Amino acid sequence: MTRRRSLLLGGLGAAGALVVGWGVLPPRSRLGAQGTLALEAGEVGLNGWIKIAADGTVMLAMPRSEMGQGIHTALAMLVAEELEVPLAAVRLVEAGPQRLYGNVAMFVESLPLHPEDTEPGHETALATAGRWVVAKVARELGIQVTGGSTSVADAWDVLRLAAATARAQLVGAASLNWRLPADELRVRDGAVHHDATGQRAHFGELARVAAATPPGEVRPKAREDWRLIGTPAPRIDVVAKADGSARFGLDVRLPGMVYAVVRHCPMIGGSPGRVKIEAAMRMPGVERVVRLGPLAGATAAPAVVGRSTWHAQRGAQALEVEWQAPPGGRLETAAIRLGLEAQARAAADRGGGFVFHRRGDAEAALASAARRLEAVYHAPYLAHATMEPPNCTARVADGRVEVWASTQVPGIARAQAARVAGLPESAVTLHLTYLGGGFGRRLDADVVAQAVRVALETDGRPLQLVWPREEDIGHDFYRPAGVAVLRAGLDEQGRCLALQATSAGDAITPRWLERGLPGLATRFDAPDKTAGEGLYDQPYGIAHQRIAHVATHSGVPVGYWRSVGHSHNAFFVEGFVDELAHAAGQDPVAYRLAMLRDKPRHAAVLRLAAQKAGWPGHGEARALPAGRARGVALHESFGSIVAEVVEVSLEAGVPRVHRVVCAADVGTVVNPGIVAQQMEGAVMFGLAAALRGRIDIEAGVVRQRNFPDVPVTALADTPRIETHLVASTRAPGGVGEPGTPPLAPALANALFVLTGERRRELPLLG
Amino acid sequence: MELQVNGRTMALPADAVAPDMPLLWVLRDVLGLTGTKFGCGVAACGACTVIVDGQAQRSCVMPVSAAAGKAIRTIEGLADPGTGPHALQRAWVAHQVPQCGYCQSGVLMAAAALLARVPNPSDAQIDAALTNLCRCGTTPRWREAIRSVAPRPPAPK
Repeated sequence: MTRRRSLLLGGLGAAGALVVGWGVLPPRSRLGAQGTLALEAGEVGLNGWIKIAADGTVMLAMPRSEMGQGIHTALAMLVAEELEVPLAAVRLVEAGPQRLYGNVAMFVESLPLHPEDTEPGHETALATAGRWVVAKVARELGIQVTGGSTSVADAWDVLRLAAATARAQLVGAASLNWRLPADELRVRDGAVHHDATGQRAHFGELARVAAATPPGEVRPKAREDWRLIGTPAPRIDVVAKADGSARFGLDVRLPGMVYAVVRHCPMIGGSPGRVKIEAAMRMPGVERVVRLGPLAGATAAPAVVGRSTWHAQRGAQALEVEWQAPPGGRLETAAIRLGLEAQARAAADRGGGFVFHRRGDAEAALASAARRLEAVYHAPYLAHATMEPPNCTARVADGRVEVWASTQVPGIARAQAARVAGLPESAVTLHLTYLGGGFGRRLDADVVAQAVRVALETDGRPLQLVWPREEDIGHDFYRPAGVAVLRAGLDEQGRCLALQATSAGDAITPRWLERGLPGLATRFDAPDKTAGEGLYDQPYGIAHQRIAHVATHSGVPVGYWRSVGHSHNAFFVEGFVDELAHAAGQDPVAYRLAMLRDKPRHAAVLRLAAQKAGWPGHGEARALPAGRARGVALHESFGSIVAEVVEVSLEAGVPRVHRVVCAADVGTVVNPGIVAQQMEGAVMFGLAAALRGRIDIEAGVVRQRNFPDVPVTALADTPRIETHLVASTRAPGGVGEPGTPPLAPALANALFVLTGERRRELPLLG
Repeated sequence: MELQVNGRTMALPADAVAPDMPLLWVLRDVLGLTGTKFGCGVAACGACTVIVDGQAQRSCVMPVSAAAGKAIRTIEGLADPGTGPHALQRAWVAHQVPQCGYCQSGVLMAAAALLARVPNPSDAQIDAALTNLCRCGTTPRWREAIRSVAPRPPAPK
């Protein structure tokens, strides 16, 4: 059935898919057939996600990338819950390229819908239709990608159903074997039990019959029966990460392996002209030089192959290259910054830009307001700086490509590898390793394409290609710089009646599609949700709003950076709302709460943060030591709501953050321990960027080169971070990113209280 | 050339190693000990930290010739073959410290070198010894994990 449907779809294309697929329940359509998973001796596949070993071990196909966010643990928990096995009894196995492993939620969430139009129970028909169409297409494309804090949301129905179906089949098998009614059988600890007779069979003994047993009507367990979901179960990856045995992309070691180091033009967008290789080739351990063309977003560059990373790197340094400046001229971030502000101002004055959200008549309301405020906010380019530098290992031999990659996009990596090698995708095998950080950098597969290209010339020997840190910082896909012109109209009581926000910055998604999924790229840029997110969907009940964005083309390579558009838009809107509160002479928490009368979830999160932080007027007020001040920010992103209260002082003029209180509503919590970890990590990520993060380009060259030019907050400067969760029964929201956006505005708002100076530009330490 | 790594003598093929080759790359690319990580190459991040004759060293800038004849300990040798994981490794698991995990080998080696020297370090000593960088933001848990095995020094009377 599944195969016939696939064939039909292949012939009909996406439009046909919409018709043919009607009536198939989306989660069920992603369970996959029993033959999906490769089987070793004694193993039995029950569906596309789950197979059972002869000893009863549950094996789960894992297409998502573990980059620190705990997704391996979270997804294994869903399966362990439904199959009634201990978490430790679930073993992860490599997922193949099949489409059922594609991430549907990430594509659905890329629609620029307003949260009020997708609120469960209140969805508009247009929003429902749009999401349905995108989900359908995303299921048919089946692109494996880990990003947008979507992995749990995407797997929530699918994996629980896959495991519940497997459970039903195992019970059915026992029922058949023992000739006992299924409702007398219980599943626990990896076995089916009949308590009355004491009969017991573990999954391995039942799997073969189970595979031939129809599951009947299957429902995942009821919430009140959960014993694992909602508990802080220890992560399944930390033992290997404490003893050095966890294997990251850069740790792949294969017999006969050689190493390559890339050297790009120091000027962004520039290319190598004449390359003199003699000096490099004379160095011991250097084997050859390969000229790489532009590949999947990376610019043309020579790569040096050597017997170790060090030999290759010394060879790369010894190349004499005549660099050619980019044809479009040398980039200057100072000029780009001025241009962005000019474009945002012009659009604000003339009603320009793409309007992401409109309500009432913001211009008229501004004109008649008792009081008007205007502010211009700025944010810089930023680098990802994953601790594991970009790298990939590849072997091309006998018409096949094997790739070992720490990537967020296995689906794109396979396609890039095939394209570069000139082979069909079916000739590519991809092994997904642990990722030494992702933060969106590894949503690009440029380094995969480069590694395969070099491996074409290493005579079938495996090749590991790595970028030294300086190449990573100087040739990233940066978080785009942004600017927002914000205007508000207040009434006599200081209430905000009108908000006009006009931002400008480069669109990420169209550039990313061109690099990674050229088949989905469009000739003209579609509006990019990531540019407006965090502004157009801000939660405050303001009667008149116009939220618009001017998409620019700076020429700087831009990419997704943890929390993406929210990373700067939260700073803009939450800084400005704080300004409104102070202008109105009101407490910043009270002022926000007054605008959240129709948003009980947001209000609850804000109240919880205020109360736990000891904010005056919310429970037990806690006096701050002299010289310390508090600031607050509230932001919704990736389906979750986070409020943060930051306590800061100045030490020799430099801000020191002492404490950060996070409150969050992330929907149903799969693992509160991991949520707390992610909030801590997201705060630390946001803190380093807020204080010192910036990428400056002068005469085409990125001025920052390595740590500590790219700041990471040290242990000595680490604040105390607390996480408090609001209980929720909604479907799970995102966890990896939502903690980052509120940090910068909360810190800036605290500094305003401390210094009386309003900082509207990141980084705060200029 | 020979190296003493984790209590074993390891011979280095002469053609694979030059005296100025950083210890990091000898460990990773010649000996296959990939638990020690490459992060920056300029001794700024600490991902490559190993212990050489009791001192935490950033192996990305230490020539292998400077490590020859000395006792080198890497993350692969932090556990005791007899008694199992180092107390810090147990603490790291108990406090669920790692996220992506890439920097943790270096952090653990820096912390182990400190505790071997100063069993009850002050907060300032911990700060000074653990200047490793972690992009995931696991630092909030380092101190509590270390404190679980190394309490503060007694307060001066």
